[in-house]
Amino acid sequence: MTAINDTLHIERQAPAFRSYSEPYWNGTKEKKLLVQYDKAANRYQWYPRATSRFNGKASNLEWREVKGAGEIYSFTTVRRARPPFQGHEPFFLAVVTLPEGVQIMGNTVGITKEEMKIGLKVKPYWHPLPGGYHMLMWQKA
Amino acid sequence: MAISDTAIVAYAETKIVLKSDKDVWALGAEVLEELLNKTGLDKSEIDGLALSSSQTGAGNCFWAQSTADQLALEVDYCQTTDIGGCSPAGALARAAAAIIAGMCETVFCLFSDTQNRENNSRPRHYQAEWTAPLGLLGPPTSFGFITNRYEHQFGLDYAMLGKLAVAQRNGAVLNDLACEKLRTPITIEDYVNSRMIADPIRLLDSVMVCDGASGLILMSRKKAEKKGFTKAVIPVGYGERTSYQFSENIVDVTDTGHLPAGAKAFKQAGITAKDVASFHPYDDFIIAMMLQMEMLGFCKKGQGCDYIREHDFNFNGDLPLNTGGGQISAGQVGLAGGGTNLIEAVRQLFGEGGKRQVKNTRNALVTGIGGIPYARNWSTSAVLVLTPNG
Repeated sequence: MTAINDTLHIERQAPAFRSYSEPYWNGTKEKKLLVQYDKAANRYQWYPRATSRFNGKASNLEWREVKGAGEIYSFTTVRRARPPFQGHEPFFLAVVTLPEGVQIMGNTVGITKEEMKIGLKVKPYWHPLPGGYHMLMWQKA
Repeated sequence: MAISDTAIVAYAETKIVLKSDKDVWALGAEVLEELLNKTGLDKSEIDGLALSSSQTGAGNCFWAQSTADQLALEVDYCQTTDIGGCSPAGALARAAAAIIAGMCETVFCLFSDTQNRENNSRPRHYQAEWTAPLGLLGPPTSFGFITNRYEHQFGLDYAMLGKLAVAQRNGAVLNDLACEKLRTPITIEDYVNSRMIADPIRLLDSVMVCDGASGLILMSRKKAEKKGFTKAVIPVGYGERTSYQFSENIVDVTDTGHLPAGAKAFKQAGITAKDVASFHPYDDFIIAMMLQMEMLGFCKKGQGCDYIREHDFNFNGDLPLNTGGGQISAGQVGLAGGGTNLIEAVRQLFGEGGKRQVKNTRNALVTGIGGIPYARNWSTSAVLVLTPNG
């Protein structure tokens, strides 16, 4: 088995968020995966935006918690990165499709080179960040 | 009036270098002087300035205005087009629109960037919040998962991507303006064996950021005729699409905005892919050119590798492709890099390709790619069809 770095030892912080994405980051404090939901379109959207990608009406948006039962849509093995990731390569960056019809990108934890493949089932791994926030990462389901 | 009522009467390009020892405005001045010398125009006859994006200019919210000031251009039209790698073709199209609308008659289109000498870019987009915290290096990472997905859906023969890389490198060897560091021949094996950056994106898939500038003079066709410009290149079709399918969460990442942009440009020009005499696709990564071949109708979706296997992309082949090396082998002039392939297409149609002159100058197809969105391919796609006048 070829281990790929899980990036857990990299010092990172929750990013500066925007007025409309704050609920997501607050949700991560309780390891909740909150996704914007459009009540009129009856659809989820990711990443969090200032308005609905379906109909342009921000007032249709609310937040709903999802389980994060994901499947790898695609991935890449990052071999060159900037600080603070530099020196921690190689690590995976994956695009994960959720049954709610959204795709979320993330790093992976504990997935080997041999195991990684399109279609692999994954679930959230919440990595603690300063300030009580968590970074959403993906581990084998 | 239509876009085809305008004419490119001259082009200019500086040497592409890894890091410029000159200021970005000094390079712009070089391009301006070459254009004035080539056309015999007086500076006062230029009444429009159309700029591409520029990482050097990016920190300045007065970029177009400050450049007009530095170059002492008194103009009735002054604008920067900021759609990433589509900016040069986009600036040309907007300049044509300004001429058609009567805002101006003679536009200096300038594509200059000295990103390595001076990068003032401070973008405000999704990346700081959603991908930088994941260690995403940017374009190579995105193209890594685009490529993996393509291979999953259709299979992928990397030697065929290598074939495109080799053809482009052959062009750079013949291009005195290409970055010297890149002017050594490569083989398909060199491509396949080059080190991985973001699997399966290799070093030789990728552009090397450089400094440089290029530009052209666009005027109404009527004025060009009146001024006696017997040789000119006419933009006969243009299509552009930003945020293709962005109202959807999940799309096929092998579909690109070149599908609608290409259909529009081809319809205006009255041609299809099979009529294209030389192809100058935007090349930030080798696979981007193959995806565009599929979207523009050179071949069916998923059959890019078969198509590449069957054609010769050298300047003397049946489909000459980025004959000056493209950005990958001539060097990417930052956000002005789209100018390199555009200028090469214009040069070829002027019949001034020198050692790499293509035989068939009936037309040339130029494209743009701009911006890296979240878990997608790219933000803006542009397609421009050029023909010689007459």
